[in-house]
Amino acid sequence: MYSAQITRANPTCIVLLIDQSGSMSDPFSGDSSRKKADFVAEVVNHTLHDLVIRCTKTEEVRNYYHVAVIGYGRSVGTCFSHELGARQMVPIAQVADYPLQVKSSYKRVSDGAGGWVEIPVRYPVWIHPSADGKTPMCDALGKVKEILERWLAEHPHGFPPTVLHLTDGESSDGDPDEIGQQIMSLGTDDGAVLLFNCHISSRRATKIEYPTEGASLPDGFARSLFQISSRLPPNFLSAAAQLGVNVVEGSRGFVFNGDPSSIVQFYEIGTSLTGMTPYRWMDDDRRTELA
Amino acid sequence: MSSVKQSAIWELETRQLLLPKLDHEVAECEDFIAADAETCRFAVADGATEAFDARNWARKLAQNWVQTQSALTAEEFREWVATEGRELHASWNGLNLSWYSEEKARTGSFAALVGVELDFNAESPSWKAIALGDSCLLHCRNGSLLKSLPLSRPESFNSAPVLVASDASMHETSMTSVVIDSGNCDNRDVLLLLSDAMACWFLERLEKGDLDPNELLETKDDEELKQFFDDERLAGRMRNDDLAVLRIELIGGE
Repeated sequence: MYSAQITRANPTCIVLLIDQSGSMSDPFSGDSSRKKADFVAEVVNHTLHDLVIRCTKTEEVRNYYHVAVIGYGRSVGTCFSHELGARQMVPIAQVADYPLQVKSSYKRVSDGAGGWVEIPVRYPVWIHPSADGKTPMCDALGKVKEILERWLAEHPHGFPPTVLHLTDGESSDGDPDEIGQQIMSLGTDDGAVLLFNCHISSRRATKIEYPTEGASLPDGFARSLFQISSRLPPNFLSAAAQLGVNVVEGSRGFVFNGDPSSIVQFYEIGTSLTGMTPYRWMDDDRRTELA
Repeated sequence: MSSVKQSAIWELETRQLLLPKLDHEVAECEDFIAADAETCRFAVADGATEAFDARNWARKLAQNWVQTQSALTAEEFREWVATEGRELHASWNGLNLSWYSEEKARTGSFAALVGVELDFNAESPSWKAIALGDSCLLHCRNGSLLKSLPLSRPESFNSAPVLVASDASMHETSMTSVVIDSGNCDNRDVLLLLSDAMACWFLERLEKGDLDPNELLETKDDEELKQFFDDERLAGRMRNDDLAVLRIELIGGE
């Protein structure tokens, strides 16, 4: 299980499900200048960038992945717009070709001889921050289920889909347990759909990352999200370990009261799929600053 | 199969096989085999699937290594790779690249390389090899494995080996993983240069002892071998990867 080779004939799919409710415009604790929605949009754009680069073969992008970015707040639907906005699930080559804009900047890197050099880098942007409305989590998970059922009907073999769900609050339209379980019961002949959840907090609260059991979680909402979080398959455990994250066999893809550094790691681990070395787009100084 | 006389009493019989991943075109194969009878050098290189221009980098490494007279010590090898890398990067100048190709090119290209040089000047022939990555040299005698480098156990093959980087700024750390070794040969010894999936499979078979892979290469024709390895990959006994095999048998000395 979770060992199928990801190829153009047998692609996998990745769904990034993002809470865009009004509370996402609040800042993270201790950093009044940084809104949660801004940071999440930045991480999602970097994640898409990473997925595109992984599939780039010199001058061609191969469709190893199909990607959906679904937001929920005032409404539920794709966060892609313009050319990509017409479809829920987009082959990665099309994602590559249609960013909203490509920003240019410079990045400081080692010159290999003990010094530093500034090199030009490009930052494509596909989604802009959004924070408005309530938290219709069940409706959003229902949308994900619908998209996955359609995709799985055409792709019954191969590496199963991964859903990376990020939220900062409780569902405003009911308990997500039932719909979450329904999503986790879908799959391919290589395993069930992987649903991972990352809850982030504006308060300075103790964060819980990749737990193995839910009994000691602080409240019912945390336990509910834990129940709809898949166990990390071996490949993902190995990627987490490479990032220095403390995981053991049985760890769930679940973070509670996460901070900005938890979000970065959550996406890095969640997109490691077949155990590839996670792409560390954020340098260590900035990670330390965020932790 | 080809045969080349190397001295008054020694000749080499070589055979090579190159197969792309299942459902891929030959033109997409990123493994390369190179041989040069004059320098008596042989090499296999395997371009990293995720790297920019990996096919060209693997080809350049294999073809140019067999033609050079140096690059058989760690220092020479590092210098030689740096020069080859600069040439590769220069070949990208002026290309009108999309943002993603430009980003990919920025990190350079990567490939595994194993090369062996045979020496027939002494009484008995000897070999010297250099390797970085997970393409391997196996030295076999009478169907038994004498040596395998840089990896010798099937479980050592993982998805993140240290490879030959075209960008010299990475050499400070990557070149510490270069493996250099040597050995002496007898009549009918076989040297195999293999890319990773094939090397892993060979080592597994030799460890289990259920099949002599050398015999396989001796008895089956190209079409039969292709079918055999397609079946192995389809059955999941071998990773679905590009496959390169260069078999060198030393004959003579009697």
